[in-house]
Amino acid sequence: MQLALRVLRVDRRTQVSTVLTALGVAVATGLVLLLVSLPFATQSRAERTLWQNPSFWPSEVAHPTVSWAGSEDEIDGQRITRIDVAPLVDRADVPLPPGIDRLPAPGEMLRSPELAHLASGRPAAELADRFNASPAGLLGDEALMYPEQLVVLVGHTPDTMPANATELAALGDGEAHLDGLLALLAGVGVVVLLVPSLVLVASASRLTAARRERRLAALRLAGATPAQVTKMVAAETGLAAVAGAVIGVAVSPVLHSLATWVAWDGGTWFDHDFMLPWPVVVAVAVAVPVLVVGAAVAGLRRVVNTPLMATGGHTRKPLSKGRLLIVPVAALAFFWSLSMASESQGAMLPVLVSLGFLMWSPTVVGPWVTSALGGFFTKTWRRPSALLAGRRLRDDPKAAYRASAGVVLAVFAGSMALTLMPSLESEAGYFSQYKDNVLYLNTDTEHVGEVVSATDAGLRRYGLAQRAAQVGQVSLRGGPDGFYQGYVVSCSDAKVLLPTSPECASEPAIYAPSGVTLAGLRMESVSEDGAETTDTTETTETLMALPSDAKLVTSDSIGSVLIDPALLPSGAPLTSVDVAVPADDTSRESARTALLAASGGAQVISKEMKLGQQDTQLADLRRVTVIGLVTASVLGGLSAAIATAGSVLDRRRTFGALMAAGTPVRTLARALRAEAALPALVSTIGAGALGTAVGVGLFGLVSESVPVFSPWLAAPIVLGALVALLAASVCTPALNRVRAEPLADE
Amino acid sequence: MTSLLSGRGLVKRYGTAYALAGVDIDIAAGEVIAIVGPSGSGKTSLLHVLAGILKADDGTITLGGQRIDQLSETKRSELRRSEFGFVFQSGMLVTELTAEENVALPLLLGGRDRNMAISTARTWLVRLGLGGKEARRPGELSGGEAQRVAIARAIAHRPKVIFADEPTGALDTKTGHATVNALIEAAKETGAAVIIVTHDRELAAMVPRTVAIRDGRIEQPVTAL
Repeated sequence: MQLALRVLRVDRRTQVSTVLTALGVAVATGLVLLLVSLPFATQSRAERTLWQNPSFWPSEVAHPTVSWAGSEDEIDGQRITRIDVAPLVDRADVPLPPGIDRLPAPGEMLRSPELAHLASGRPAAELADRFNASPAGLLGDEALMYPEQLVVLVGHTPDTMPANATELAALGDGEAHLDGLLALLAGVGVVVLLVPSLVLVASASRLTAARRERRLAALRLAGATPAQVTKMVAAETGLAAVAGAVIGVAVSPVLHSLATWVAWDGGTWFDHDFMLPWPVVVAVAVAVPVLVVGAAVAGLRRVVNTPLMATGGHTRKPLSKGRLLIVPVAALAFFWSLSMASESQGAMLPVLVSLGFLMWSPTVVGPWVTSALGGFFTKTWRRPSALLAGRRLRDDPKAAYRASAGVVLAVFAGSMALTLMPSLESEAGYFSQYKDNVLYLNTDTEHVGEVVSATDAGLRRYGLAQRAAQVGQVSLRGGPDGFYQGYVVSCSDAKVLLPTSPECASEPAIYAPSGVTLAGLRMESVSEDGAETTDTTETTETLMALPSDAKLVTSDSIGSVLIDPALLPSGAPLTSVDVAVPADDTSRESARTALLAASGGAQVISKEMKLGQQDTQLADLRRVTVIGLVTASVLGGLSAAIATAGSVLDRRRTFGALMAAGTPVRTLARALRAEAALPALVSTIGAGALGTAVGVGLFGLVSESVPVFSPWLAAPIVLGALVALLAASVCTPALNRVRAEPLADE
Repeated sequence: MTSLLSGRGLVKRYGTAYALAGVDIDIAAGEVIAIVGPSGSGKTSLLHVLAGILKADDGTITLGGQRIDQLSETKRSELRRSEFGFVFQSGMLVTELTAEENVALPLLLGGRDRNMAISTARTWLVRLGLGGKEARRPGELSGGEAQRVAIARAIAHRPKVIFADEPTGALDTKTGHATVNALIEAAKETGAAVIIVTHDRELAAMVPRTVAIRDGRIEQPVTAL
């Protein structure tokens, strides 16, 4: 430690290297802390919003206290979460989650601050009237998923609750589930960003590597034991690494604060979402410096084992061709883990581990590729810059590759993401039995009449011309195709609501695809427990009571059967019944309000609702991909620049002598740029191909469709090459510094 | 003898200290001189100023009658590449290149094609007793052998002047003397002038002319041309 401190006090280059190493460790520590906090952040969100999660159903409730129903709404593309509640015991005895002071009484609602603000700025017809309740207070932050969430809690009596209500032991009862996608991305992010961070640290510490090697080699030759030399290096590196880890922990709240602005799943974050348990912080703050010191000590092999060779200028053993095997082995392990994950529904740890192994493989193969490139140039050179670059790449391929290692990883991550993104986007889609402009909700036969009347009253009140229509659905068996979806709707309503419709007859009729006859069709009934039954002996008499003399119109323009309500016998077994309203852009929000107010909390479905979630998810993925790619590229570019500058400093005396003897800076700069850029160019193309293959594999986990390959796949490679060239251009300023005093030692 | 390289009133300051305090010197074509002096006397500064590596703060330098002290760094660099050769104390060879590639480098930088440059390099390596070691790397040569590679590099492009800064500093006496002899013999073949900076007076006695410098001034008068 004393020796390390003495060197640090007197040697300027060691000071620069120490500062850069500490900064690199700080970046690595901060990034890891941020990424590791993401699963905790989603857990925090999930726990706060247990009372809102409409997908959770408790298996059994011995003593229910509250009736609960959840639905989603939207306005201007923003999601509104609606929760309807009614107490089953005394209202004061219903356990409430943090952020909810009291259960709203029937006809009252508690709104989130953002929803209240939005409602105050919009006509009641477009928002406030949807809830059929008076504002009675605000929800606290502790009850919100994110600060700007639009959420409302509407009070009812038990008999006015929506049909799909369920009973809970408490509001907020249940078990929070992690956002699996974000947890997966966090895991991938740790792998993708930690490695370039460590490469940056390695580049910074290598600024003094050659000189330190000579110093340590001299100590070994003077009698220092390997253990003593190892301790010295550990002390030197440890100083910078510990300082960096402390800085990283200290500035991580700043990173977390910035991260709160990155929207996910519809909104931003609360500051406290990213708080980590102390044991995790300590574990990361210890692990990163340990990794760094371990890498530094591992790099001492040459000095410890062959201190004479550390003085340089000897022909080194070429790298083994066996290194090439690591890529197919890593690829096989990765694709095997993928096949295991798709079979076992979520064994992600082996996928992440093998992904990390795959990402590490370029570090092994890269130097061999670099050495091979160098060998090619040493055989075919014509210009002195090619000779210098070729010999350097051949002589020390590990050092030459190191400059591009960070860039290669950024290209790998970018190619992987840009293979996944277009493929996931192509999966996004929307199917509905109605036209895109139709809003509809599902109800039951008992209440459908009321809902239609109430909706029409609302539409009239808001001055809208359109009217609600009742659309029943039946299942029909028979005919050439064996099964048909049947809609109980008038032809005129069908023309307004359905994507395809026939020419309407002048009287009530049944419309069917060509080839269908009335005699060949029978209705399927659905029993009380939801099981389908068919009783062929009763079919003719009770299930298909369509008048045999009903007008039948067949058409090639429809694929379903349309039955005019006037022709449907009473008691016919409808599988479901919808209330549908067509709307254009100007009437959309008011039409939605009329439907919602009439239904008392049922889920209104529309194209925007169905696509909105997909769009949000893809936008989230795109956002984090861009942030991750830019971060990795910056880290890669910085490490490449530091490595190139370090390479010039290491060979200062040689370059100085060449310049003193008249070698132009531009010739040396050309050689250095070739040295830095050639391995990067070849490696980025290889990394791009590997990243694309990994992206295809990961896409296969979530879809059976064929991946979509976009021209944007070339972007990471172009970015990687540009960053490598840019980083290589730092050698000209470095050489100009040498030129100022070419024969100085430092 | 007509002067090939001349310096008049050369001054070089580092802050308030004078490395050169008004030096006059003439070197004839093909002449071999040694500049001797203790550490800090200004001998290396004089060498660097004459070679155009450093710019003098005052005074003039001519080469073949043309002033070269006022040239731009680019022009001086060109001059060093084409007209001058350098031998440094530790050789300063490029460790990744072989012996013949190190020797060929200045020729390549001067625009010669690969085959001619390598052929010339091999010729000089053989002349300097390094035949069979063309493919060796600097770390695989002895100190004396590495310096002879440096000499070959300095002379292969047939410069007018060779500057040697403590060429035997890292060698034992016997090897050092052998190296200097090799340098002088090689220079004779091409007609190059040689300026050797050394603190070793025994070595200086091996060359026909010695110039002593102390505190930035020539101690002895320059031998009349």
